[in-house]
Amino acid sequence: MIDFIQMVISGIAVGSSYALMALGMVLIYKASEVPNFVQGEMALLPVFIAYMMIYSYGYSVFIAFFGALFFAMILGCFLEFAVVRRAKNPNILGLIIVTIGLEMILLGLVSWKFGADQRIMPFPISSYSSVMIGDLYISTMDLVTLFVALAIMIVLFLFFRFSKFGVAMKATQQNPTAARLMGIRTNRVKMVTWGISATVGTVSGLLLAPVIMEPYMMWNPMLKGFAGAVVGGMTSLPGAVFGAYIVGVVEHLFGGYVSMDFKAVVAFAVIVIVLCVKPSGLFARHYVKKV
Amino acid sequence: MKKTLFAVLFGALVVFGMLSTGYCEIGVTDTEIHIGQWSPQSGPAAAWGAVARGTDAYFKWINANGGIHGRKLVHHYFDDGYNPARTIAGVKQLQEQRGMFAWVGGVGTAPGLAVKEYLMQKKIPWIGPAAGSWHWVTPPQKYLFNVYPLYLGDAQLLVEHAAKKMGKKSIAVVYQEDDYGEQGLAGTKHMLEKYNMELAAAVPVAMGDSDMRPHAMRLSRSNADAVLLFISPVAASRIIGIGKAMNYAPQWMSSSTCGDCPLMIDITQGLYEGVITSSFGMLETGEKVGDLQHINDPKHKLVAEYKKDVYGKFAARDERWGYTFVVGIGLAEPLVEAIKRAGRDLTRERLVEELEKMENFRGVLGRITYGPLDPNNPLTRIGQQELFLHQCTADGGSRILTNWIETEYIPMGH
Amino acid sequence: MDMKRDYYEDVKHFSSGVMLFWFAALMIFLLLYPFLFKNYYVYVANYIAINIIVVVGLNLLVGYTGQISLGHAGFFAIGAYGTISLMTLANFPFFPALICAGLIAACFGFLLGLPALRLEGPYLAIATLGFGLTITTIIGRIDILGGRQGLHAPDLIIMGHHLNTDRQFYYLVMAIAVLLVFFARNITKTKVGRAFVAIRDAHIAAETMGVNLVLYKTMAFALSAFYAGVAGGLFAFVLRFIEPELFGFFLSVFFLTMAVAGGLGTIAGPIAGAILLSFLDLELRNILNIPYVGEWLKALSTSYFSLTGVSNIQFIVFGAILIAIMLFEPLGLYGLWIRMKKYWMTWPF
Repeated sequence: MIDFIQMVISGIAVGSSYALMALGMVLIYKASEVPNFVQGEMALLPVFIAYMMIYSYGYSVFIAFFGALFFAMILGCFLEFAVVRRAKNPNILGLIIVTIGLEMILLGLVSWKFGADQRIMPFPISSYSSVMIGDLYISTMDLVTLFVALAIMIVLFLFFRFSKFGVAMKATQQNPTAARLMGIRTNRVKMVTWGISATVGTVSGLLLAPVIMEPYMMWNPMLKGFAGAVVGGMTSLPGAVFGAYIVGVVEHLFGGYVSMDFKAVVAFAVIVIVLCVKPSGLFARHYVKKV
Repeated sequence: MKKTLFAVLFGALVVFGMLSTGYCEIGVTDTEIHIGQWSPQSGPAAAWGAVARGTDAYFKWINANGGIHGRKLVHHYFDDGYNPARTIAGVKQLQEQRGMFAWVGGVGTAPGLAVKEYLMQKKIPWIGPAAGSWHWVTPPQKYLFNVYPLYLGDAQLLVEHAAKKMGKKSIAVVYQEDDYGEQGLAGTKHMLEKYNMELAAAVPVAMGDSDMRPHAMRLSRSNADAVLLFISPVAASRIIGIGKAMNYAPQWMSSSTCGDCPLMIDITQGLYEGVITSSFGMLETGEKVGDLQHINDPKHKLVAEYKKDVYGKFAARDERWGYTFVVGIGLAEPLVEAIKRAGRDLTRERLVEELEKMENFRGVLGRITYGPLDPNNPLTRIGQQELFLHQCTADGGSRILTNWIETEYIPMGH
Repeated sequence: MDMKRDYYEDVKHFSSGVMLFWFAALMIFLLLYPFLFKNYYVYVANYIAINIIVVVGLNLLVGYTGQISLGHAGFFAIGAYGTISLMTLANFPFFPALICAGLIAACFGFLLGLPALRLEGPYLAIATLGFGLTITTIIGRIDILGGRQGLHAPDLIIMGHHLNTDRQFYYLVMAIAVLLVFFARNITKTKVGRAFVAIRDAHIAAETMGVNLVLYKTMAFALSAFYAGVAGGLFAFVLRFIEPELFGFFLSVFFLTMAVAGGLGTIAGPIAGAILLSFLDLELRNILNIPYVGEWLKALSTSYFSLTGVSNIQFIVFGAILIAIMLFEPLGLYGLWIRMKKYWMTWPF
């Protein structure tokens, strides 16, 4: 029993970082209708910028982190403005290829600048300390990630519910034409959505970086975040978060009780089963296309 | 018009004549010896790229000291991104269009096996593939000389040390899901059978998996008091970190792949202190290393020299003096030595002869011995089987625990 | 392009004598290719031909039927492992082994097609992606397939001839590639092909018209998987050694990239995409050896970036080319060709 609880706790802990990636993906999917394969690298570059600010320019960790988040915002906006928006008559596959191209460029830039050596990001909290409750443990870093993820979800919720811009975003996602007619600059809204998504992703990246940093560090969280987002329904923010936690917990239970070999891929099998029952994920409304 | 044509033809003849004077062996001219190598400089395996850069700096250093018998070594290395299709492309292009005398190093089992048959059919010597795999010596090939010790050896030494010297009662293995990890697992099982011990747990780590919590948990539930790691440095650092967070502190032991103490101490924030790793080459010099008699080992001076001259003068500014870099030098040493011994009269057959005569050659790695080809005896091509154990210290140095130990070749595979 | 006046004009193999001429010229060129170029370029051609087989098959699924697949490396792996193990374990000759492996891949394609009946867009993408990842993990667990230590290919003997040079292998691969491309082109002109296109354009409308969705969607998956399987079987003999990690997610993405960048829903487009991107994949490593450019890049690396990571420029160039193609022309290379043709046909207007 204690093992079970421990696995669930660890699963939720790892699910938090997946959840942040999933949130970023869903934001962009709602705005531009593309599964965003550059999500991981949009976080990777700012994380390495933070590293550079600390080591090359001697800024403190907090300033560097804020710098990274600010940079992520700009980067996201820039990618939408300079590249994604420029696609003519985009279809979903074309856009996927564009994001894959962007992913390669950003990954190439980071690897070119920093080489392949592994590093770690300085962080005020040790990555290896933990809180013990009886026989259960949760590492401090995981706890921080959990709270940060929750905080971001609340902020996003409030933002979409109460801020003018958030409402405009929702409007744009629901019906771009109507939104434009109502005087919303939908292009600008999309651009800022990309920025927000990159920032959310970067938070996740910054929380992963104190354990290990290398150019490919965001791949696995990105794929799992994508998986989580799909379980949740790809268009629902709470769904994405819930889906990411499901992925995390299922992985841990499966790894613990059944087979470690398949732990890394079990999430995808779960998805297929979930999707066979609910083809648009758990939380999204299933739209039936009309002829 | 006719005159120009003649001039061109004559010029071409002269050039052709000059090219064909002197040496008729491919890749060897009066002034140059062309050596090829591949390694991933980009992509997920790029950390292994330092092997080729180490060889490159080493060759440059040799050239700066006058070359070998009046010839310079020309090193052609290319990036294959650990993709065998690209390895084949690069090898064929260099071999057929530039003409390589021999190949050295070459990272990875799959890329190496993709070109093995090609090189062997063309009778091109290939020295020191940078991966410890039994594929290189089963069966032994006339032109393929292994240098990198098999991971079976790492497993032997580590299990022996844990079970005999440290008296550990239960041993677990964490292994990467590839050739390297499987070998480590097989070697460990083999040794445990010998000591009548049970394997406490065997935990596989998928390539590219970034979440090691379940793995660490399974280890801690197995109550193993020694855990052998046959994984990548990144995975090792994660798993040890999570072990720390859950207050699980067995004796961590690792193969030479995670034996780069300065790097490992750095990326684990010091948690790697006390971890015992096997190693087949020294990295540091001076007081940071060892308190055993090995510090007076003459080859230790060689490491210092390499660090000062090869690394200091010929490596890129952003290069790190790390284990992979040193391995790059070490893999090329037998080749250079054999070229030296072959003398001015260099042909591939001469090179192979000299390599076959090589006995107890000591470079920066362990002793290297080959013998005349015997298709049933892998030892004639296995080269180095010596390893030693060291323990990382908090300052990124290491304490040497054992002398060089000759490991036994366990015939395995399929 | 041109106005089609009746149905038979549409299904004709060659729309005109000129086309027939060019086709014959192409065939002669392909026959003579190994004699015209160095051995290395023959190898490159083999690699490209294998990718063409996969991509033409993928295009039947993605371009014609409108389903996405991020798991084609899985079928590729099944083909490679199937061919080799049938030859070594069951003593099959090469061709039966290759075809059986293709059929095994097709069976898996059919199975993957079943969930695809209910899924679309990103949901299908993630399901196929999961399939690709899972299949390599499963192969890694099967000891008889060499597990994670990989599998060696046996000698390739066809009717008593031992194929061991690139030139010999070229004729085998190219013959199969031409045959399969031709087959794919024919399929698109038949009832099946029309059903695929109908499903892509409006699956509900197609169903109302009497197109059996279950049959044709799974058929598209199976057919596409068959192509990937056959290509995988050939690829195993290029590498001579296969292990599960070779067939990872990146490979699936690479296949999809070639198809989309070439131009979906056409036959020539994916071929062009496969040629361009496979060539880049093999040749970009030489980017630092280009005179001037290479030196400039190295100087740039020394001042602003790192010399140890300079090879990663390949990624940047590759990514930039992808984006450039897609931004400039959503129909990919094929779209560029059409646009160019139009421009010259109507020039100077």
